[in-house]
Amino acid sequence: MLRKAIDMDYRRIVEMVPTGKREKLSTKLMDLILKSKSADKMPSGLARVLLHQWQQGPLTNERGLTTLLEAAVILESEKTMNILEEKLQLPDIAEAIKAVE
Amino acid sequence: MVRFGIEFVPSEPYWKTTFYAIQAEKRGFDYLWITDHFNNRNVYVTLTAAALHTEKIKLGPGVTNPYLINPVVTAQAVASLNEIATGRVILGIGAGDKTTLKSTGLAMHNPLTAVKECVEIVRRMMIEKSVTFEGNVFKTSDAKFFFKPTTEIPIYVGAQGPKMLALAGRIGDGILINAGHPKDVDYAVNRVKNGIQQAGKRLTDVDIAAYTSFSVHKDMEKAAQAAVPVVAYVVAGSPDVVLQRHGVDEEKAEKISGALKAGKWGAAFGLVSSRMIEAFSVCGTPDMCIERIAELLKSGISQFVVGSPIGPNVRKAIDLISEEIIPHFEK
Repeated sequence: MLRKAIDMDYRRIVEMVPTGKREKLSTKLMDLILKSKSADKMPSGLARVLLHQWQQGPLTNERGLTTLLEAAVILESEKTMNILEEKLQLPDIAEAIKAVE
Repeated sequence: MVRFGIEFVPSEPYWKTTFYAIQAEKRGFDYLWITDHFNNRNVYVTLTAAALHTEKIKLGPGVTNPYLINPVVTAQAVASLNEIATGRVILGIGAGDKTTLKSTGLAMHNPLTAVKECVEIVRRMMIEKSVTFEGNVFKTSDAKFFFKPTTEIPIYVGAQGPKMLALAGRIGDGILINAGHPKDVDYAVNRVKNGIQQAGKRLTDVDIAAYTSFSVHKDMEKAAQAAVPVVAYVVAGSPDVVLQRHGVDEEKAEKISGALKAGKWGAAFGLVSSRMIEAFSVCGTPDMCIERIAELLKSGISQFVVGSPIGPNVRKAIDLISEEIIPHFEK
């Protein structure tokens, strides 16, 4: 139930990301989690969802971005905020995530 | 046409390796090889995850060894994997590496015989109802599966020394040559060809793969930097004859080996020279890598395997190989 609620929250946040910035966000979040030294923090259920979605297609749609964002916040919270605020100029998204956390 | 393979060391959580495996399949790689060292994640667990998330790419251990894993267990593992990825499973068998074996209390006795017997036992377990085998290293007595393997599995033999290379040519469906420099690959392919001829096979019956340490980036310096740690280990593990072939200072190689053993990574990596990188890896910009692969093709390889580190950023490197290197060889 909690996972579903979190998913819904992240889904709503992802809907706020401008379409033109979604691909760049996807790439940055992929690199962030793949290079993370905290990979062991990844919940096994979330890893399975991520791999399933990656197999189905690019992680640039709302479902893929939702999963990436959730994983990135768990593994690298501060760096995720930095990507959103500094690199992609999306402070509203960062604020919305802080509210979920 | 050359086919492309990719090798991953399962040193990180399974989902990362699986992520890259999915990407490699999407990006046109034909083969996925997972290394087998007990210190990393288990090779068959990693392969199972990759098999469940891919559909086309051929996949298998590259390479397992007969000392740590008994041949009947290897046969069981690949036959089981083949139920998940039917017709896609391949098996790489080599003698293993002395350091890893030593840490488990095992010695690499009779490597040629051990590999030869292992290949025979695995093959027979796939097709015979019961296997009784009297070898010099392995013995089985009425060994049988309580299930029927679905298909036969191509067996690749990992080889570096002249005798193992010739044996690989004789008994392998494929050969994994652990080298990336034209001098080494040329030397190896010639020995493999001898073995193929001795067995009365045609060259086209056997898939000859160059299993390389590879690093690509649009910035040559970054590609080289990523290759340094892997090259340090290769230099430390190379016999003198190979070092001499490439004009690499043996004393320096000894120092690298000592520093690695002492855990002084900075000192070891600092001793790696550009000559060593050139000799023991395929490394550079996409154009530089294309040039090297084209040279290796002249030796007669039919598969090119990009192995660790692949690039400073693995995800970007896979995309770069797919976009700029593979298409060059499809023309």
